[in-house]
Amino acid sequence: MRRYVASRLGVAVLTLFGMSVVIFVLLRLAPGNIVDILFATGGYVNEAEKRLIMTELGLDRPIWAQYLRWIADVVSGDLGKSYRYDLPAWQLVKPLIPVTVELALISTAIAALLGIPTGVISAVRQDSALDHALRIFSLAGLSMPSFWLGMVIILALVAWIGWIPPVTYVSPAANLPLHLVQFLLPGLAVGYRSSALIMRLTRSALLEVLREDYIRTARAKGQSGPAVIWRHALANAILPVVTVVGIEFAFLIGGLVVTETVFNLPGVARFLVQAILWRDYPVVQNLVMFIAIVVILTNLGVDLLYAWLDPRIRYAK
Amino acid sequence: MSAFLAFALAVTAVNAVRPPAARATPAPRRGGILRLMLREDLPQGFAIHETATNSTVWPSLPCFNNLVTFQPLKPVERPDTIVGDLAERWAWTSDYRALTFTLRRHVRWHDGQPLTAKDVKYTFDMVREAPEASARLRINPRKDWYAAVEAIDVPDPYTVTFRLRRPQPSLLMMLASGYSPVYPAHIAPAEFRTRCVGTGPFRLKEWRKGEYVEYVRNPEYFVPGRPYLDGLRYVVIAERGTRFAALQAGQLDAAMPAEGTRTIVEQLKAAAPRMVVSEINVGVNDNLLLNTKRPPFNDVQVRRALSLAVDRRAYVRAVHQGGAVVGAALSPPPTGAWGLSAADLEGLPGYGRPADDKARARKLLADAGYGPGRPLRVEVATRAISLYVDFASFVINELRQVGIDGTLRQVETAQWHPLVTRREFEIAANLTGLGVDDPDANLYENYACGSPRNYGDYCDDQVMQLVEQQSREIDPKKRLAIVWQIQRKLEADAARPMMGWRLDYFAQWPYVRNLVPHHSAYNWSRMQDVWLDR
Repeated sequence: MRRYVASRLGVAVLTLFGMSVVIFVLLRLAPGNIVDILFATGGYVNEAEKRLIMTELGLDRPIWAQYLRWIADVVSGDLGKSYRYDLPAWQLVKPLIPVTVELALISTAIAALLGIPTGVISAVRQDSALDHALRIFSLAGLSMPSFWLGMVIILALVAWIGWIPPVTYVSPAANLPLHLVQFLLPGLAVGYRSSALIMRLTRSALLEVLREDYIRTARAKGQSGPAVIWRHALANAILPVVTVVGIEFAFLIGGLVVTETVFNLPGVARFLVQAILWRDYPVVQNLVMFIAIVVILTNLGVDLLYAWLDPRIRYAK
Repeated sequence: MSAFLAFALAVTAVNAVRPPAARATPAPRRGGILRLMLREDLPQGFAIHETATNSTVWPSLPCFNNLVTFQPLKPVERPDTIVGDLAERWAWTSDYRALTFTLRRHVRWHDGQPLTAKDVKYTFDMVREAPEASARLRINPRKDWYAAVEAIDVPDPYTVTFRLRRPQPSLLMMLASGYSPVYPAHIAPAEFRTRCVGTGPFRLKEWRKGEYVEYVRNPEYFVPGRPYLDGLRYVVIAERGTRFAALQAGQLDAAMPAEGTRTIVEQLKAAAPRMVVSEINVGVNDNLLLNTKRPPFNDVQVRRALSLAVDRRAYVRAVHQGGAVVGAALSPPPTGAWGLSAADLEGLPGYGRPADDKARARKLLADAGYGPGRPLRVEVATRAISLYVDFASFVINELRQVGIDGTLRQVETAQWHPLVTRREFEIAANLTGLGVDDPDANLYENYACGSPRNYGDYCDDQVMQLVEQQSREIDPKKRLAIVWQIQRKLEADAARPMMGWRLDYFAQWPYVRNLVPHHSAYNWSRMQDVWLDR
């Protein structure tokens, strides 16, 4: 097990190295840089002044030299300085992480809590009116982009009750109920879409398992319906669902851009888009690396979870 | 809600939009936090001198003061609405070659240091890049405003004199602009990108990047009894729908200039009839940049044909749903002091009967050798933002009607200014915002030969002479006549065809008092006199 984890972590380091090269090069291939944006806010361009700022920021050096400098800084614990804000990148990024992680966790929890039970019900009541209704419900979730649903929630709330969730971040320490409301609504908008995927996957996996001989045997031995479904069938059908839940969570860390924008939550994804638009390389690089780390660790976590969920699975000793 | 009711509410909403004016108010009261809208985080922090965007000026101005400012409760900004700010009084010499300000005493910076005339000299020497300047700006968009200043003298700590190479009555207007705050000499200009030390009515409490900017009342403010508010909170909300939902839900007290379109406020008024909406001309015009150094637009006849092809009134109706006014190079009356009126524009290319103008355009194009057998093909570049794309698409459609085959090229924001600065365009659909309604601030910047922001490189000796002449002219009536003459010439030459001047619909709740929107975007956000009546 330890060897397995160690080898996965080794691969993760290589992946991160590859990611660092890709993001570094791609950012610099995109047209324009921070200096162009700064002059855009000034409404003019002066080539001499531009060169001075390029030199000041180290953007006049060859790409490979900039890359090596960045890696050396990262290894020594210095994540660089934001070009836009003139502040250490980590100082800017740090407060964003809990917001996005919390929203992703709440969205994933809502998705799982909504998707797994409805998937089970739908499979157990296959082809019934309830099954059809739940499938339509899930199809609607898949068809509705979460940002659109988010905007509809905001507009409906303001139109019907003249209220919307707070537009500035409320910390749990300051007001826990309001904090939860602030996160539950976007969590619902995002979670509904993800739940549709989980529901459909749970249903199809469970339908397959329900046709297995051991399910028939369990029933023949007189086990109750719910016990067969939840203890025997679902336990065997859950692995692909866990994989999808893990992937959804990892995706949400970087994929909440529009939801964070619509609900005005100060998270990683919204800040990342702004940083890209500003070509704020240090901030973008750090945020993308953070997202990559979350994706890698989540996948590793899901793989390790397999062994716990299914005792037949054992990794290298 | 029935369609009839919706229609009735919308009509009521439009009727309720009124021109800005000071409402009759009871006696002001102290206290409260004013919550305002911000469409993006501050691009350059509080460094007003290094930027040309209202996303910086709107939330930064409460921290600063100018030498002079525009009377906050009067919506129109003219020389006669200028009042003292840090300057107690000011006087021109009889030849208008020197302008002397006497500063208020006992004014302190937010860090406790006293304000003196040296701070004023430091600021404007830095902006005009004087050889003796002790600091330099990283980006300096308004150096040209002070080109006529020869020296700034400080005879004593409370007197400062701007000596000019030639008379320039516009200097006072430019000093009153929100773009002209006084910086402290003891703080490096780079620091304003992350913090703010001014003399203004509010002190910076916190700037949470990407979230909000908070100010608290400056208890040592030099105007007795001001400000009335305990603080300000500018909330960054990137999504426009959420911004206005927050305003409607009462989480914000007022909008931000240049944010409210006619359609948005109609919906807002229908939902919140008590909302006060003011129609303002924010000094932003939609214009076409024509590259006059390259064929085909180096030919004035072709430029004129293009200008004739675009029906300005149809543009206002279609692109702005009526939320704009036609006008030439300067903001049109009654909200602008120097522009040509709609009647004055009659007969100029693009302002006559559309069918006649288009027929004239076809004839001019035929004379230049273009026609069905040899259509003129052009590329219309614009920023990849819906606001700009709508504008460019309308123009392309109009050009097609006279046989000009236009294609749209969308350019990302990061590439826009480099592209127009390098003149890598034939036609560009552009927006220009003016810091102050003044001929010098506009004509030198956008039409003078060699100006970096004269993107089309239009250069005409007669226009230049007239621009110089009006700049020196002290008699306002004579000056106005010259400015009108310049505008007619610019329109006739299709130097930079104007499509229209955008109107903004500024929304605020009725309990917000003394926040009187001006007919500009940049010069009225100090919040010194604003108070909350609730």
